Amino acid sequence: MKRFGLALRLLLRDGRSGELTLLVLALLIAVASATTISLFADRLQRTLTVQAAEFLAGDLVLAGSMPIDDAWRRRATGLGLIPSQTVEFSSVLLENEQMLLAAIKAVSQGYPLRGFLKTLETEAGAESQIAHGPQPGTAWVEKRILSALNLHVGDMLTVGEKPLQVTRILTYEPDKRGDFYSFSPRVVMHQADLPATGVIQPGSHVHYFYQFIGEETALVAFKKWLKPQLNPSQRILDIHEDRPELGSALQRAERYLGLSSIVVILIAGAAIAMAAGRYTERHFNTSALLRCLGCKQREIFRLYTVQFLVLGMLTSAIGCLLGWLGQLGLFYVLKPLLPQQLANPSLLAVVFGFVTGMAILLGFALPPLLRLQKVSPLRVLRRDLEPLPAKAWLIYGLAIAIMSVLVWRYSNDWQMTAGIVGIGLSSLLVLGLLVTGMLKLLRPWLPKLGLTWRFGLQGLLRNSRASVSQILAFSITLAAMSLSFTVRSDLIDQWRQQLPERAPNYFALNIIPAQQPAFAQDLLRAGIDSSAFYPVVRGRLVEINTEAVQKRVSKDSQGEAAIHRELSLTWAPAIPADNSITSGEAWSADQAGWVSVEQKLADNLGIKVGDDLRFTVGGAQVSARVANIRSLQWDTMKPNFYMIFSPGTLNDFPLTYLTSFYVPDAEKNLLNQLLKTYPATTILDVDQILKQFKTILMQLTQAIDLLLYFALAAGFTVLFAAVYATLDDRIRQGALLRTLGARRDWLRKTHLVEFGVLGASAGILAAAISQAILYVLYSRVMHIPYEPSWLAAATLPGIGMLSVGLAGYWGVRAVVDQSPLRVLRRL
Amino acid sequence: MQTHSEPNNPSIIETRNLGKSVPSSEGELHILSSVDLIIKPGESIAVVGESGSGKTTLLSLLAGLDTPTSGSVFIKGRDITVMNEDGRAALRNELIGFVFQSFQLLPGLTALENVMLPLELSGDGNAEAAARALLERVGLARRLTHTPKQLSGGEQQRVALARAFVTRPAILFADEPTGNLDSKTGAHVIDLLFELNREQHTTLVLVTHDASLAARCGRMIGLAAGRML
Repeated sequence: MKRFGLALRLLLRDGRSGELTLLVLALLIAVASATTISLFADRLQRTLTVQAAEFLAGDLVLAGSMPIDDAWRRRATGLGLIPSQTVEFSSVLLENEQMLLAAIKAVSQGYPLRGFLKTLETEAGAESQIAHGPQPGTAWVEKRILSALNLHVGDMLTVGEKPLQVTRILTYEPDKRGDFYSFSPRVVMHQADLPATGVIQPGSHVHYFYQFIGEETALVAFKKWLKPQLNPSQRILDIHEDRPELGSALQRAERYLGLSSIVVILIAGAAIAMAAGRYTERHFNTSALLRCLGCKQREIFRLYTVQFLVLGMLTSAIGCLLGWLGQLGLFYVLKPLLPQQLANPSLLAVVFGFVTGMAILLGFALPPLLRLQKVSPLRVLRRDLEPLPAKAWLIYGLAIAIMSVLVWRYSNDWQMTAGIVGIGLSSLLVLGLLVTGMLKLLRPWLPKLGLTWRFGLQGLLRNSRASVSQILAFSITLAAMSLSFTVRSDLIDQWRQQLPERAPNYFALNIIPAQQPAFAQDLLRAGIDSSAFYPVVRGRLVEINTEAVQKRVSKDSQGEAAIHRELSLTWAPAIPADNSITSGEAWSADQAGWVSVEQKLADNLGIKVGDDLRFTVGGAQVSARVANIRSLQWDTMKPNFYMIFSPGTLNDFPLTYLTSFYVPDAEKNLLNQLLKTYPATTILDVDQILKQFKTILMQLTQAIDLLLYFALAAGFTVLFAAVYATLDDRIRQGALLRTLGARRDWLRKTHLVEFGVLGASAGILAAAISQAILYVLYSRVMHIPYEPSWLAAATLPGIGMLSVGLAGYWGVRAVVDQSPLRVLRRL
Repeated sequence: MQTHSEPNNPSIIETRNLGKSVPSSEGELHILSSVDLIIKPGESIAVVGESGSGKTTLLSLLAGLDTPTSGSVFIKGRDITVMNEDGRAALRNELIGFVFQSFQLLPGLTALENVMLPLELSGDGNAEAAARALLERVGLARRLTHTPKQLSGGEQQRVALARAFVTRPAILFADEPTGNLDSKTGAHVIDLLFELNREQHTTLVLVTHDASLAARCGRMIGLAAGRML
């Protein structure tokens, strides 16, 4: 291009003269923070996904009650996946005249593919991590086994017919499941020893788990290939499906990370639009002169576009580099909290930062830039000639389009995008009109005000269009920051509520009715709070309105999982307090024959209030009519039930009791006592899962906090940049007023009034905008109950007044501190 | 005063019935009416008149910075009033130089860069050498790397002169070139302007209300209330 060299020289000169500083700064912040967050979020997400995969000891697990076809394993290895295998069954151990039902797990070479085991070498030894299972001929056992069977490390333990030497004490296994096999103490052995035990016979109750790790694409391909071939007893587990509690925490965290990225982009976008506006206005004269010297309109446009493209590319590249460093810094700071194995930073996230930079720059800077080609050359003689403002649809259309694409890219969710952009826009429109009206109403009052207030407010009214857009820009910034903060707090509160300090960490199942009062008494005596004792009858749902239930389910759905096994059926005079009825009515205590169905299962199976359900319990059948559908939080670690019956419906069937309780680490001995006293009762240990879950939540919270500070810092820096971008007029007028004899004190006060009112108005709007967005986010996207945040609504105007007031006050120091002559000359 | 062109001595600037009016609340406001003017190559013309007489408007129409509401302007026989803005820009680049009362230097550029700019715009590869030579000619050889802020008013206007002459324009329009300068500095700048004008045989159109300055031009055109006297 003929003028490329010239454009570069002009750019260099502009850069040197400081004309571009503000724009570059705004863009740099935008790109650096977008890249940091994009990189950080991407790495964190991938790390967490890997960590979550540790819960399964693989990326994908195939579970079933029989060994899989060898062809399946060949298919997996053919796709480049690495397999491992565990076999789990229960077996009674008999040593030193003590008997104990243990959960045996035979592991293959390669196990665990993800995560690690933790073991002690001696009873008093230190815990160490280990990335493989026991050697053939040896076994690792939980402490409870040793104490219950009077064994020590080094002793022999016979599993079935195979004696194994106990070489380590097992303290942690990554893939411990909160199901039937987890409640008994664990013995881990090598798979090679399995045949010699003679335990597994045709018809034995055995669970086979096949873990696979590998590339995402290979995993997806394998899963797709596998699904249609599964028989009803086989299930595919991956982190999103298998651990709903973890899945939803991850999902919310991912969405939060996305949201903070959007916040920074939104703020930076506003700042870049302002900086570009200022740049454009300061280049009217140059454009006029260039046109006077013979530049055509198209050439002017090209000249500036080339400059902006080069500027954007350079700044974005530097921003990416800063983002890279920022992300490294974040991970360095967070090192103690994060897993040791971090996913590598992905180049794609960097590229995204770069593309974001270019998109924001062009989306927000192009419309003001277009004005430059419209400057009349006559401006060289008449400085008051300004080009028409860029067309509104162009300014907003381009910015909205680019924002929408970016928001979508971050959230990967059109619903969220539409929510944010739609509500944001309509609020802006309404609020813009509102602010215009407010300013108009202010005007008649001006003559009645003191000089300071009058001048301060006149500053706002003089160019009311600019003031409206500033108030809106500040309110977006404030709303975005407040949003980020509120969502974080609510998200963390929500998690805390889900898992309070003393969340139940043990479940007791199969409590015989005759022993239930004594069991409750024992817990009470040990000072342990338990949840209610629920009567449980095991039964299977077979028909819905005389239609076989199998016809209602889709493969791999929750419904399918629920109908292929016996459900724990319970009854209660009323549904538990933390469940809520979404349709239908509660029953009165004496009405037998009614059932309450959990909502997701009901949705899945198409069950409605008034449907007749038929269950098989043992050999008998029982029917109940659906009284209501209820929703509940599955991840509270309290006993939850798909089906709750009205009293009198199931009372004649053999039942056991179920409860959950919290045992502090120091009192774990109690469990052994309970097991000895109530041998028929099984204690399900969810402590390990709970601890893992809490660690992940804590890490997420910390990461979110850091991202929040980052977004806040970016917000405030950009806020200042935005104030600075609008200062020229004020500086000019201030200098003029000082020439006319205005005192510095008085000028300072008028600036405080002007920016304070600007900030307070922005704060009020911000409160409205953020609450509107919160409502949509919570109710539609994050599924967290929405409650208006009165605190945010009350403090935002103050925060706005302070932050904008101070930023403005600081920005216009030049007016007050420099000689008016210098200011006037410079302008 | 001549009102028509002579075939043997073609005009470089010619206007026919040139007028400019703007709508106002009290009807049409005539800023300039029926100006017929012929300027020959190499001539120096002073446009004089009081504030508001239409001097600057006439200059802007002659230079193609603005469009008339009536009549035509011919530069080297080409009617610039039928050209579009880009056509006029090309013509300005090719034929016209400017000197303004407020200097109109680009604040971010050095003296040298300001002078190089018009040459760079026309794609001249020799911009720097030519700009250096001209800045030397106006006595600013030691100020090449100074930005306008670091230069006095007189120096700034000398840079502006160098910028105007560096393209060797056929026509130079000067709008109150000494308006922002004290009389001594102004006189020095004007001396330079006329020297360069002679050296390059430029046609000079100078707008001023300074009678002594006007007297140094070959011809004077008086304006009052938008009409030629």
